[in-house]
Amino acid sequence: MTQLSATQYKRRLKRIAEHPAMSAENITADRASMDKAAAVMIGIGAILLALTAAGAVIVNGRHALASYAVGVYAVTAISLGAMFWVMVFELVRSGWSAGVRRQFENVMMNIPLCVVLIAPILIFELAAGGVLFHWMMDDADAYLVNKKSSYLNPAFLAIRFLLYGGIWILLAMKLWGYSMAQDQTGDRYLVNKARFTSSWGMLLFALSVAFFAFDFLMSPDYRFFSTMWGVYYFAGGTFSAIAVVAIICCIAKFFGRMTGAITAEHTHDMGKLMFGFTVFWGYIAFSQYFLIWYSNIPEEVAWFTHRKENGWEVLAWLLVFGHFLIPFIILLQRPVKRSLVGLAIVGVWLLVMTTIDKTWIIRPMVYIRDFAQYNPGPAGWWLDVVAAAGVFAVWGGFLVRRIARVPLIPVRDPRLLKALKHKNYV
Amino acid sequence: MALADYLPIPTSKLPAPLRGPSTKFVLEDGTPVHGMLAQYSKTPDLVHAVEAVRDAGYKVWDSFSPFPIHGIEESMGFSRTKLPYIIGVAGLSAAAMGFLLQWWISGDYPMVVQGKPFTAWQPFVPVTFEIGILITAFTTLIGMFAFNGLPRHHHPLYQSERFLSSSDDKFFVYIEATDERFDPEATRKLLEKTHPDHIELIGQRD
Repeated sequence: MTQLSATQYKRRLKRIAEHPAMSAENITADRASMDKAAAVMIGIGAILLALTAAGAVIVNGRHALASYAVGVYAVTAISLGAMFWVMVFELVRSGWSAGVRRQFENVMMNIPLCVVLIAPILIFELAAGGVLFHWMMDDADAYLVNKKSSYLNPAFLAIRFLLYGGIWILLAMKLWGYSMAQDQTGDRYLVNKARFTSSWGMLLFALSVAFFAFDFLMSPDYRFFSTMWGVYYFAGGTFSAIAVVAIICCIAKFFGRMTGAITAEHTHDMGKLMFGFTVFWGYIAFSQYFLIWYSNIPEEVAWFTHRKENGWEVLAWLLVFGHFLIPFIILLQRPVKRSLVGLAIVGVWLLVMTTIDKTWIIRPMVYIRDFAQYNPGPAGWWLDVVAAAGVFAVWGGFLVRRIARVPLIPVRDPRLLKALKHKNYV
Repeated sequence: MALADYLPIPTSKLPAPLRGPSTKFVLEDGTPVHGMLAQYSKTPDLVHAVEAVRDAGYKVWDSFSPFPIHGIEESMGFSRTKLPYIIGVAGLSAAAMGFLLQWWISGDYPMVVQGKPFTAWQPFVPVTFEIGILITAFTTLIGMFAFNGLPRHHHPLYQSERFLSSSDDKFFVYIEATDERFDPEATRKLLEKTHPDHIELIGQRD
């Protein structure tokens, strides 16, 4: 923004403020009713999580923790995916996304909540000496665990968790701080500061997300290793974050907000990104599976073998079709990408699918060694639904609370004028 | 659009059936009329002119500008291209063909590779994917050329001295004589209403 003179810059901010879409009514949510909705969501979430805790006693503690972890890892991936998009938008000085960026920031600011939600998993694992983390258990393969113990040991795991959480919260707070300050002051150099933060932040983000995925989603089965794992987890978050933002925008539009600020053109661009990253997920997920299938190394293949038996093969095929092929065909259609309702419906579907993806990864860990040892059958499945829904409800409740507290779009972002006039010429 | 447009041979040297439709109007020297060209100096004038031509219901016509004008496709009343559907059908059927080819071959001539089962679908996926991408790309390129009539080696418009400034500072609307609504009198009257700098008839010369 430095090429503009101070007068020109002031004129631009004035033109943004005078835009018909920028009326106060249009860009602020109804706080009272939003707070009520948030309270209901958090209340429902708390009840469902209490039921999960009860399920830990009634059904099985290991099963309950796995179901809870599924939900937590899914919402963490979504929050991290939103932070990825905020940083990408800042890094490439993206003009079209200036309006929708606020919703990505709202989702991003759920990262502290996610860190709080992950903490109980780690505490239970450390206190119980391994619930899902099989390398912590006494009957683990001593030779292999010993070989890997310089990395896989409880103290280092706890330190790494604090490091990941610290990096994420630091980045989220910094980016959020710049955006909030810009809403107040309209200082043009905040854009440059946010871009600089994103430059080194992206590097830390990539490493911390990859290693978080290694530690929490891959290491439970300590024999398994895949260098694609970090990308796999990251890919699950990217399109889910866009799905959540599409749902937010759809609901906001339903209540007559953001008219003229978020148009079919922005929806179209979000749809393209959602489509692209759904394909990206399919591409790297298959590549990971394909290489492991071909090389046929026992400790790698065992991971997939456990997930291709005892009914987990149903989920595996559901992912192939529901997570990749069906969204691929649907999102190929231009009218779907240009319709906020269409994108929100696909978004809900993809959120369910990404949760099923995490279920397929985590849940088999409950009885990985001996299926007969613990098999709840369909009677225990309610626990999976209740735990994941509880986490999503709490997470959504905090998201709704935040949306109500800030303007729906960054009101003084200098790129907003470009975003308001944005058009796809194809 | 005729086949002659694609061939790197002057139209007059082609046998009559390949020359494309001839028009019923002729210039004073007897040359068949190819179309009518109107020249404008300002972008808004061009946009208003193409809107008038669109509303008059012409189908075989085009506008020319030294730089892209956003929104002119709406002013000209373009409908969306059918190309994506052709590409979709071609790409998906090519992928299916690629899969079936491998399935047939590994059934007909099974090969032992790393002790993998002959019926495994996994090794077929990369080839299926690549064939799908390849045919999609080819269909896109060839289909685009088929629909937009490129590459053209010559166009009767090039005989107009004025038209050369379409790559400099002037804007043009060109209505071809093959349009069923084309009539030298009525078309000229329509174009005159849009305040052009100049109107001229272009003959069907090579």
